Amino acid sequence: MNKNKTLVLLVWFAGIFALWELGAFSLVNIFHDKMAASKLPYPHEVIATLAKNWQTLSEAGAVTFSKAATGFALGASIGIILAILMSISKIAEQIAFPYLIVSQMIPVLGLAPIIFNLVRNMDASRIIIAAYITFFPVAANMLSGLKSVDIDKRELMYSYAAKKPSIYMKLMLPFSLPYLFSGLKIAAPLSVTASILVDMLGSKNGIGVKLLYSLYGGTKDIFWASVFTSALMGIISYFIVIIAERIFIPWKKEFNTKAGED
Amino acid sequence: MTDKLKSTLWPLSIGVLTLLIWQLGGFHALLDLKPFQLPVPTGIASTLAQNLTKALRDCGITVSGAIVGMIIGSSIGFLIAVVATVFPKWGYGGLTVVSAFNAIPIVALSPIMNRWFSTGMGQKIGVVTVVTMAAMAINAYRGLTDLKPFSLDLMKSYAANRRTVFFRLRLPNCLPSVFTALKINITSSMIAAIVSEYFATSTSGLGFGIKDNLRKAEMAMGWSYITIAALAGIVLYLIISMVERRAVKWHASQRIK
Amino acid sequence: MNAAAEIQIESVSMFYKDNKGNDIHALNNVSIDIQKGEFISLLGPSGCGKTTLLRIIADLLEPSMGKVTVCGQTPKETRMQQKYGIVFQNPVLYDWRTVKNNVRLPLEMMKINKTEQNSRIEKQLELVGLTNFKNHYPHQLSGGMQQRVGIARALAIQPEILLMDEPFSALDEFTREKLNEDLLRIWSKTNKTVIFVTHNISESVFLSDRVCVLSPHPGRLSAIVDIDLPRPRTREIRETPEFFSLVSKIRNSFEGV
Repeated sequence: MNKNKTLVLLVWFAGIFALWELGAFSLVNIFHDKMAASKLPYPHEVIATLAKNWQTLSEAGAVTFSKAATGFALGASIGIILAILMSISKIAEQIAFPYLIVSQMIPVLGLAPIIFNLVRNMDASRIIIAAYITFFPVAANMLSGLKSVDIDKRELMYSYAAKKPSIYMKLMLPFSLPYLFSGLKIAAPLSVTASILVDMLGSKNGIGVKLLYSLYGGTKDIFWASVFTSALMGIISYFIVIIAERIFIPWKKEFNTKAGED
Repeated sequence: MTDKLKSTLWPLSIGVLTLLIWQLGGFHALLDLKPFQLPVPTGIASTLAQNLTKALRDCGITVSGAIVGMIIGSSIGFLIAVVATVFPKWGYGGLTVVSAFNAIPIVALSPIMNRWFSTGMGQKIGVVTVVTMAAMAINAYRGLTDLKPFSLDLMKSYAANRRTVFFRLRLPNCLPSVFTALKINITSSMIAAIVSEYFATSTSGLGFGIKDNLRKAEMAMGWSYITIAALAGIVLYLIISMVERRAVKWHASQRIK
Repeated sequence: MNAAAEIQIESVSMFYKDNKGNDIHALNNVSIDIQKGEFISLLGPSGCGKTTLLRIIADLLEPSMGKVTVCGQTPKETRMQQKYGIVFQNPVLYDWRTVKNNVRLPLEMMKINKTEQNSRIEKQLELVGLTNFKNHYPHQLSGGMQQRVGIARALAIQPEILLMDEPFSALDEFTREKLNEDLLRIWSKTNKTVIFVTHNISESVFLSDRVCVLSPHPGRLSAIVDIDLPRPRTREIRETPEFFSLVSKIRNSFEGV
């Protein structure tokens, strides 16, 4: 079953690669587009460029990625803490919840240039914006987890005469972990996006700068390789969260098999 | 009733307090900023009032790009979900590929679209289309396939063919998930449209306005564009929620508590 | 009143409003004395207040009128001192804990040392026959096995009283009868006072020393039936004339159903 799925995926990726090759070929040889190399280069050439410039691209990527990761960790921590506060204190929830809802409706990345303008420090703004954008989905999902704890699970704790700290440690937090991770899965690629955006708003280094330079002329051929790198960064960030989920939620149904009947 | 009053009074008073502190220079003192770096709320409001026509025009451009892109992207996403439902084995792989698209940063997409489309609008729509595809595909697929237990058996007992199952069971069943996707997409389409305008060749739209005014150190103008963008996001979201409430009256999430 | 009774329920009444605002008279003036080591059933149809009464004894609810004394203390004091173990209708296992760690949960709350914890877990899991499944997660077990974990967890704190709220009502008849026999075997080894809520007449006859028959609207005690069947009881006893006559005696004692 699982082997089958992998095969299907491989076929898919091979198919997309082939289609892309075909597209690039027809752009050059059928439509005779002079901009073909910049519009849709041959994917094998992009990969070759990526391999050739791996050193610089991965270094630039690492700068962006590490700042995204720092911001992500910061934003996630603040989000988790706020969600817990909101679940403990009714007043905290009443104050913060409407803002949490509204903030999910507004285009937060639109604030990036403002924050960049206020902070004026590349690394700090990368971290702040990544943290900022991570914060909302994490807080919202964590809170919905804390609010979904079954009443009978809480009653069991009550029957043990449990105090608040142990109720949270032994029930509320483990129960909300799956919810937390769905928030983290949304946030991880976003934090990378945020970090790249700050690169492009005027940093000196990072993968966004490579994108921007190649966008406004100069090193044309590196552009697609940079796009590949940033896409890869987003995907990697997502899979890191997936792996973490497997480690922290070993009880998840998909990871285990049923033992047997009575 | 008093609880409801409290739950509006608390956030409202905190919001007003924040604006007041901002207005009276509290944040400036705290963050060591000059008024020209961080304009005060009344300054932003009066700037916005003076430039309302231009700001609204830019807003219209961004919103129309976002909506057109969202419609195209969501439609493609939905089609992918349908194909994946009809051909489960191969379709599911396609879904995985689409969700990989989801992880591609918007900022990397906009330069690509710059190369493919010569107009700012085309480029904006292109970015939004790609960004909104995945959320719809994943959610709609979930709605089309995650059926209530025995509902498929019931259809079989009626000797329903696949076509009937699709239209009578799967399609209505996926409606709530489609709206979930639309609510996600309306926000992300605004974000995508604005971000694509940061790097666009054209000189219109909210994103361009934000970036250009900040570059020219017209801070109050930049902030008023932010305000407009936020308001537009909220209004669009509320419209979708209203449509949702009318369309899926039967769903448990709409039940009055 | 018998001073030696372990649990004294004295003229307990319970009123509350349901979510439509109607007054519900859940219990009307119920008095029962329960002796130490006794196995007593609270039997009745839904709406008779049997679960409400159990929850009052467990201090999960407070009675509107009347008084409950457990071991000479208030229910709250017994709860704080962990003198009872409770088994709910659902197993209420924590999904993130393996079988053995679910049994460990109350022991952690009581700050019992690790070696003692482990030896108690071993003992209880052996008693309920789940030693081989101690490292499984709850969702990997069948419903009956999950409920056994719930029983092991309730017994692990070595309570004086075991409160059971329709613990087997979600199980099929075969599993239920098997668990009935297991419960009697466990009870004979531990000699706890057991209060067992059920709506199954033959289950209550098979298990109990006395059956308290409750009738609905308002919930009230209509009879207390002594079950003088010999112990130890095995499944064969279900086929005896004495068993049948007790079942019909109880069936005839219901009022207003």
